[in-house]
Amino acid sequence: MLLAAAGLLLGSCTADSLEPTLSQNKSVEGSVTKVENLYSILKGAHNTLTGSGYYGRDMIATNEVRSDNCFSNGNSGRFTTQGEYEYNANTGFVWDNAYYVIANANIIINTDVTTLEGDIAYGEHLQGAAMILRALAHFDLLRVYGQQHAGGNLGVPIVTEFKGEDLFPPRSTVDEVKAAIYNDLETAFGMMDSSFDTSKTIVSKYMAKALESRVAVYFGDWGRAVSASEAVINSGLYSIIGADSYVSSWAGDGGSNVLFELAFSGADNQGPNALSYIYRFPADEPGGYGDLQVVSTVIDLFEDGDVRADILGYQDGGTRLRNMGKYPDTATGADNIPLFRYEEVILNYAEALLETGGDALTQINLIRANRGVFIYASVTKEDILNERRKELMFEGFRYDDLVRTGQSIPYWGSTENSLGTIGYPNNLFAYPIPISEINANSNMVQNDGY
Amino acid sequence: MTMKNYWMMLVLLCCSLTAALAQEKNVSGTVTDQNGLPLPGVSIMVVGTTNGTQTDFDGNYAITASTGQILRFSYIGQKTVDRTVGASLIINVQMEDDAQALEEVVVTGYTSQRRSDITGSVVKVESEKLGEIIAPSVDQALQGNVSGLTVSATSGTPGSTSNIRIRGISSITAGNEPLYVIDGVPVSNGNVGTSGAYSSLSALAGLDQNNIESITVLKDASATAQYGARGSNGVILITTKGGKAGKTVFSINSTYGFQNDAITGPVPLTAANRLELAAEAYFNDGIYPSEQEATQALLGGPFAEWDANGRPEARWDRAVANKDAIIQQHSFSASGGGEGHTFFASLGYMQQEATVIGSDFERISGSLNFSKDLTDNITFSSSNQASHMLQNAFLETSAYFESPRTVKYFISPLLQPYNEDGSYNLFGGSLPNPLYLTENNTSENRLTRIVTNNSVNWDFAEGFTFGSTFNVDFQLYNFRTYSNPTYGYGAPTSGDASQYDRTNVFYVFQNYLDYNFDINDDHRFKLKVLQEYQSNRRYFLGGDGQNFADEGLENLDNLGTPTGVSSSFNDWYVGAYMGLLNYSAFDSRYVLDLSYRREGNSRFSKDNRWGNFWSVGAAWNLNKENFLADSDWVNALKLRASYGVTGNALIGLNQFQSLFGYAADYGGEGAQYVDTFGNEDLTWETSNTLDVGVDFGLFNNVVSGSVAYFNRDSKDLLLDVPLSQTTGFASQVQNIGELNNKGFEIDINFNVIDTEDMSLSIGGNISKVKNEITSLPVDPNGEERTITTVRTRIESGHPAYAWYMPTWAGVNPETGVEEFYINGVDGETTTNFNEAEAVFQGGNAVPTTTAGLNLSFSYKGFFLNATGYYAGGHKIYEGWHLYLNQTNAYPILAFQGYTSLLDRWQQPGDIARNGAFTTSAEPWQRHSKYLYDADFMRLRSLTVGYDVPSKALETVGLTKLRVFLRGNNLLTWVKDDNLLFDPEVDIDSQNGTVDPGETGLETPPTRSISLGVNINF
Repeated sequence: MLLAAAGLLLGSCTADSLEPTLSQNKSVEGSVTKVENLYSILKGAHNTLTGSGYYGRDMIATNEVRSDNCFSNGNSGRFTTQGEYEYNANTGFVWDNAYYVIANANIIINTDVTTLEGDIAYGEHLQGAAMILRALAHFDLLRVYGQQHAGGNLGVPIVTEFKGEDLFPPRSTVDEVKAAIYNDLETAFGMMDSSFDTSKTIVSKYMAKALESRVAVYFGDWGRAVSASEAVINSGLYSIIGADSYVSSWAGDGGSNVLFELAFSGADNQGPNALSYIYRFPADEPGGYGDLQVVSTVIDLFEDGDVRADILGYQDGGTRLRNMGKYPDTATGADNIPLFRYEEVILNYAEALLETGGDALTQINLIRANRGVFIYASVTKEDILNERRKELMFEGFRYDDLVRTGQSIPYWGSTENSLGTIGYPNNLFAYPIPISEINANSNMVQNDGY
Repeated sequence: MTMKNYWMMLVLLCCSLTAALAQEKNVSGTVTDQNGLPLPGVSIMVVGTTNGTQTDFDGNYAITASTGQILRFSYIGQKTVDRTVGASLIINVQMEDDAQALEEVVVTGYTSQRRSDITGSVVKVESEKLGEIIAPSVDQALQGNVSGLTVSATSGTPGSTSNIRIRGISSITAGNEPLYVIDGVPVSNGNVGTSGAYSSLSALAGLDQNNIESITVLKDASATAQYGARGSNGVILITTKGGKAGKTVFSINSTYGFQNDAITGPVPLTAANRLELAAEAYFNDGIYPSEQEATQALLGGPFAEWDANGRPEARWDRAVANKDAIIQQHSFSASGGGEGHTFFASLGYMQQEATVIGSDFERISGSLNFSKDLTDNITFSSSNQASHMLQNAFLETSAYFESPRTVKYFISPLLQPYNEDGSYNLFGGSLPNPLYLTENNTSENRLTRIVTNNSVNWDFAEGFTFGSTFNVDFQLYNFRTYSNPTYGYGAPTSGDASQYDRTNVFYVFQNYLDYNFDINDDHRFKLKVLQEYQSNRRYFLGGDGQNFADEGLENLDNLGTPTGVSSSFNDWYVGAYMGLLNYSAFDSRYVLDLSYRREGNSRFSKDNRWGNFWSVGAAWNLNKENFLADSDWVNALKLRASYGVTGNALIGLNQFQSLFGYAADYGGEGAQYVDTFGNEDLTWETSNTLDVGVDFGLFNNVVSGSVAYFNRDSKDLLLDVPLSQTTGFASQVQNIGELNNKGFEIDINFNVIDTEDMSLSIGGNISKVKNEITSLPVDPNGEERTITTVRTRIESGHPAYAWYMPTWAGVNPETGVEEFYINGVDGETTTNFNEAEAVFQGGNAVPTTTAGLNLSFSYKGFFLNATGYYAGGHKIYEGWHLYLNQTNAYPILAFQGYTSLLDRWQQPGDIARNGAFTTSAEPWQRHSKYLYDADFMRLRSLTVGYDVPSKALETVGLTKLRVFLRGNNLLTWVKDDNLLFDPEVDIDSQNGTVDPGETGLETPPTRSISLGVNINF
């Protein structure tokens, strides 16, 4: 009888006892109730940016290795495919990470802040920040996968909803994506209040303008570039770092020249997959990864006294030219990675002014005066591009500067053996859409040549 | 009570006792079998009392009984004999074999059935056969012994997991591992390791093989539908040993042996090879005008020190080998029983070293199985297995530069392992000296596992039994790593350490009611209803950090910089109700088996949680028909068929909900992110399996065996359906897609000689399985959403994870450049890899044909047993070829290569397997050159031994003494000469996250020779 009773007892509890516990997860539906929740999701999106598959390494390294700054020595077998322009649809890149940032940003953007507990204005500010991230991710996708330098006009799908109606979106045109980016940035700038900006490691109001100026320069929308740059400059929040601090600023966080940098720390870093670890060996002799080596003639670009030359150095008994100064913490990769520096805005401004007949000279000399080199008396487009190259070297700008100005790109094998040049325009300037995307979504069109 | 009363009571008591004693007498005698040989362990009961005894070793017994009482003699396999006590004080009994009872009883899940009553495909492997493979984990022993079952070890590192596939692959991205059941209770038996980078540790390795009575493999639906949702991949039932009533038997089993890699594997280039090839590469690239000049330049550069030191060869393959690694196991057990109870108790120890330095496995285990009749009709039984395992693991699942096996292939032969004074050479570079690291770093897996299974059975009325079972599988796991602050990857951060603890608690409750009834002798029924509830809770805690003040401090307490902490909790639950009906007509001439199970699983949402699973099985024992009953040559002939529906739910937890995850931080603050896409509609993956077969025993069972055909349709696959990644997610689990596995199995055994002095039997099995995807999801344009990687593609009309890549066309004899077919098949070739079309290369990594061959021979006390295994029809891909087996910079400048590279193009006209060497590093390109036929054959075990005759043993008080020499994996034959690695590789797709079937840098299977002894007394 006792056993039978025990049996009945167990029987009755079975049906109700199948509910799993959610200990470290929460359901998406119904768990966003406070403005603070939006901030938490925003930080999650920042965290995705720090991944080695995005700005934590690949976004910057892939662009540098494809430019005339660097080549891959293949020490650990990394970035030879990209450096030798051998990628195909199986070569992974930023597609998944960028759209993942967009998915999280969309959850923030599409939340009705009026239903949340907390300061509504702060909620809108956070939504603006999410729009900036969405614009940044769309721009990253566009410059990687868009056909603007491959002789076509296809861009990437614009996604504005998480789990929206259309889960199989086709590619929008380059112009459509560009328009969506500008739209997001303008809306964001209008929604945000810089009094809420307390940290350089979280997207801030003026980053909307800095990004707009970057996008405008990329597409040659010079008027927009001028006004966006001026908005940043006129905020008075930022300044160019001085010559004495240029090299040391890379070892510190939150410099006065930084608009936005990604947070890394001793406890939160990419370890061997860090950007620093791909730029150099942990010790002088070959070891670790250190695949991204600097083309040996790059050192000759720098004039005497240019403090930026001190970023470079040698390893392996003085035989390999290296980026030693930017992201210097090789052991753990704990340095913050700046994504928006004031100097870039100044250079964007200078170039836009040059293109629109303004006073580019003053702007370019603002940089040069702080780098230990002589002041220009006159300035050409080439001077500005060279200045950009030196100022922003190893930060992932050079490849885009080359393609947006229609230049051919020289490239090298693992022993710095020349493999020739990639002529402009070229199918290789539009990265292949990942094969997983092509297979999952037949509305997707592959770029030519893959 | 007064003193007077007390005395009165005592007198009465004495009187009654005397009265009783007066009627009783001592009866004794001898019990023999039908051949007249003494039968020990026969149970003798005085009917109607609790008075009973057993015969001793010589078949003698003594019992007190009164005249007119009935003595009941019973023994398994013998007809029960009743004798009335008469005048005589001696009752000798000769028992007779009971043909029906002698028939083998096989555990078929929640019940046991006589062999002739089984309607499905069930294979039983006895402990002796299992013992032929000496390994920590018993699943290894199934290879070759069970038709339709493939076993592939993921690594030869002791304690590692194996992949088992029963009748092909039933799922693409849900799990394919069978369900393990120990003594009737489903348990978890996968990898318990927390770090995928390190050696795996199988929970099954916690079970001492010496405690296992038998393993039964259930393959068809009539057997597996009882396990409902978890039956699709087949079920492996492990029955542990129990005791037998009678004298306590002590048993000692010991083996001690040595092992080496089963096959040599690729041989690294020597430094002299390297010089030659590097010089050639420099010349080919036009860097030097001649090879001589290139050689001179190299001797003046990287090879200078080596040259000056007299050109020593480092031979890292030898430096990291643990030659003649020890494998030993010892177990001591006692079993027996007395009035109303039986027991089996054991202690075991096992130790195995890996064939590479720095890794080993140790296990101490104990068990106690106990059964006690609490009353006439209530039995309590408890089986308990406890073990503690320690595995010195290493980074082995990828090319980790700290791993000795990576070093073996990756390190430059110019670097010497030792300095001249014999100390370790602590050179710089990517690959630190593993000799130092294995001594000074730590990575340990520890698992304490306790499986305790307790049940009560109550025969509360004629034919009725009620039972309750409560089982706990408790797994306490600890993993720790430590890298020293002095040398290697720990040095830049002044050392690092991590430690993770996981506690897994599985509970299973079962309540059941059995009702056996006969309408008459011709119609017998067995009915079982059962209720089951299982819960699994997992608690996880861990931390890591860097920077120690000094060497040899491994605990987190001493860390200067903590870098991470983590803890988590997960749970899942299964509830089920089940009914089983077995109907046997005319002495099992016709058998019908029905099963129905309703099961709920916490992996699905409330509305989709419950599923129904059922099966129908029927058997016709033709040998019991009148027209065959008197046949001289047909001993057994059974036609059987079954059909049923089983399920599979081996997907991640909580996949049905859209979830936020919080396991992220940014700038030192907690952060959240959408973590699971979710699918409310998620429910069971189901398989419909048809199984038909013939079992036969002919010519006095000289020839016996079975032939079976099966066809399994799996539908509503729990598939990680690829999403457009614009959603932010790569895939979503959906119930979509269909898959078919069909094939046949033949088992046959010949008892060629069977005399008192000599016996010879030869047995074998062969099975074929064809796996094909029959349907996949489509996108809105109606196009199939295939899943393609650089090596494989999942597409309808092909097996799951079919190899898919460009086809290598060989080396151009004029230019020395490797070429590929543009269309992927034939005709025009190209040197541009990206121009070559990827095509299906035929097959996947799972064998389509497996076969086993058994031979056992004995003459007087000498015996010889052998088991062979063949697997074929599958292909595997060579991992790491870019760095180790291509004619580029890696093998000659950065890393190291195999001697296979010596077959390379040097000048126009050369026909070579490899192209011209270059000093440039090449990007990854995967193509058919590195895809190999993986067919192989292995002599799994060969044992020769001698049983000392029992007469000789009696004088020293032993009942059994056996000595033997056992070899495992002594011979391996591999079909493809270009396949340098062991063909046995990990074939698991890890829920669709990896391409299964790539050779890696794991420890290969080992070849061992052991000396063993079994002693009973």
